[in-house]
Amino acid sequence: MIPLAFRYLMSRRRQTILTLLGIFFGTAGYVVISGFFIGFQNYLIQQMVDNSAHIHIQQRDDYLTAHGLDKVFYGDKPQVLWDAQPAGREDNARIENPQGWYARLNADPRVVAYSPQLTASALFTKSKTSVSATLIGCDPLKQSKVTNILDNMVEGNFSDISSGGNRIVVGRELLNELGMRVSQNVLVSVGTNSPAPLKIVGVFSSGNKATDLQAYGSLTDVQKLNRTPNVINEIGVKIKNYNEAAAMATFWSKLFPEKTESWDQQNATAFSMFAMQNTMRAVIIATVMIVAGFGIYNVLMMTVNQKRRDIAILRSMGYGTTEIIWLFLSQGMLLGLAGAMLGLLCGFIVCKYLQTIPFAGPPGSTKMDHLHIALSWSIYLQGSILAILSSSIASFLPAHAAGELTPIEIIRAGD
Amino acid sequence: MGIIARGVFKHVGEPPVRIIDNVSLEIRDGEFVSLTGRSGSGKSTLLYLLSSLDSVSSGVVELSGQDLSQIRPEELNRFRNEKMGFVFQFHYLIAELTAFENVLFPARRSGQGEVRKQRAKELLDAFGLDNKHDRLPRQLSGGEQQRVAIARALIMEPQYLFADEPTGALDSASGESVMQILREANTKLGTTLIMVTHDPDFAALAGRQIHLADGHVVEQSPQDNS
Repeated sequence: MIPLAFRYLMSRRRQTILTLLGIFFGTAGYVVISGFFIGFQNYLIQQMVDNSAHIHIQQRDDYLTAHGLDKVFYGDKPQVLWDAQPAGREDNARIENPQGWYARLNADPRVVAYSPQLTASALFTKSKTSVSATLIGCDPLKQSKVTNILDNMVEGNFSDISSGGNRIVVGRELLNELGMRVSQNVLVSVGTNSPAPLKIVGVFSSGNKATDLQAYGSLTDVQKLNRTPNVINEIGVKIKNYNEAAAMATFWSKLFPEKTESWDQQNATAFSMFAMQNTMRAVIIATVMIVAGFGIYNVLMMTVNQKRRDIAILRSMGYGTTEIIWLFLSQGMLLGLAGAMLGLLCGFIVCKYLQTIPFAGPPGSTKMDHLHIALSWSIYLQGSILAILSSSIASFLPAHAAGELTPIEIIRAGD
Repeated sequence: MGIIARGVFKHVGEPPVRIIDNVSLEIRDGEFVSLTGRSGSGKSTLLYLLSSLDSVSSGVVELSGQDLSQIRPEELNRFRNEKMGFVFQFHYLIAELTAFENVLFPARRSGQGEVRKQRAKELLDAFGLDNKHDRLPRQLSGGEQQRVAIARALIMEPQYLFADEPTGALDSASGESVMQILREANTKLGTTLIMVTHDPDFAALAGRQIHLADGHVVEQSPQDNS
């Protein structure tokens, strides 16, 4: 039946080409739109995963409640009434038992590395210019195992901060905002403490504006500057499979008092945006495919009506209902297959071209780059399945209608 | 064993109109029977009932001893393919296939496309279409198209050949040529031929004529001895 189906398609070339174009554009559109969105999302996810720890362990933010201080001031006395009820955040931003965490992380086979940190908001001042930024105190060796900071270094060595001595490595954005260069001193103050001069020994550029507004110093230097010796307020953890980060963070969060958040939990807003993008992508593709499907449906319905005589003679030759259905269904499937192949090829070529287009990066990006287009085989597989499936569904109804016709109906109707 | 019809009725439409009214007959293997009658007498309907293309409202039609109402669809399809040939007034050739491909198409259904190729050539050559194998139906005259349709009906060397006014749309020369071919199929191949015709001359070529009026068999000539 396939050769006859093919002849039918070839005998009405204009209709066939128009129908084919519907499937072609649908498939090519799916490949390009999916490649664009998924490539963009993968790029952002890679940025999130590479530039930061997979799991962040921090002291939980505790807030005072209306009766949170009753016991502290009045012991077990009942019915304490306050003129002004206690409110505010507990100033206790430290991890109480870091050694316990180190032991736990060392014993966990899923953990690749971890880095204790003291993160503080600092004011960087040079002459009359002041910039507020995050100062991260860390062990550079441990930190380099948790993030890809070494790959992002554009000047100096990250390990130069290890020996202490009030040296820092700053992000490109921070350096630019201060209008400084490497080997100059900048005054850094944390909280109400008096400022201290720190020497810039290196510069990094991650491509992410927020990350590039940070600075790294040695853990001891930052602890001194913050006047909190031996205190850390965060442990960054890198694990083997970053997709397991959320599950691990949620599990730890239930067991231990510290707040544990995975990289994706910290970027939940971005993932909401991805979900919205994916929904939009699905709606656009579904619309295109439905339109293409209606094209196939209409053309095949017309063909069934035009070929009623053929159906009658085929039935009289002994061809059964199933074979008649297959004769028309296979036309839709051939169109779907051909449209899918052409669409995938065209989509691939367009994607390869888009990859060459310069692109300033997503909002917050500081590096000039090219469009990130995903060329994953799964997109192409999904595209072909979608095209063949939609064309098969669209051709099933006409094919079924053809299969239901009996020769005598057609002969009596005088077709 | 041939074809046997017993007490066959056919109603169509709503309210039901009786098209065939209590027809009983027997057609023996190798016979050439013509069905005649005025328009609306039920002769084409009877042909389609006897050939399994239509189903009876009541009564029994047996082909080669098999009750058509009891036969499973797949078996009926195989039976049609291997044992029956059909020739219609409007030849019903598949426009996208050449004359040769049209003739061979029934054989493809049972996977005999290759083995029947020689037979298809012989039939087309015998019917005076030796240089027109590769022509599409639209490139053939009406008479040539009907000869292709007969070749297609004969490709599987069927036991039964059903023809519904095969000369109805042809000029007299083409009509005579077609009748010659049909007669030869009956006499040389032993194919049972049941033919509906308006033409009394062509009807007279049959070994037996069955005349219908208002759905009844009113006359059989020569008288059926069954």
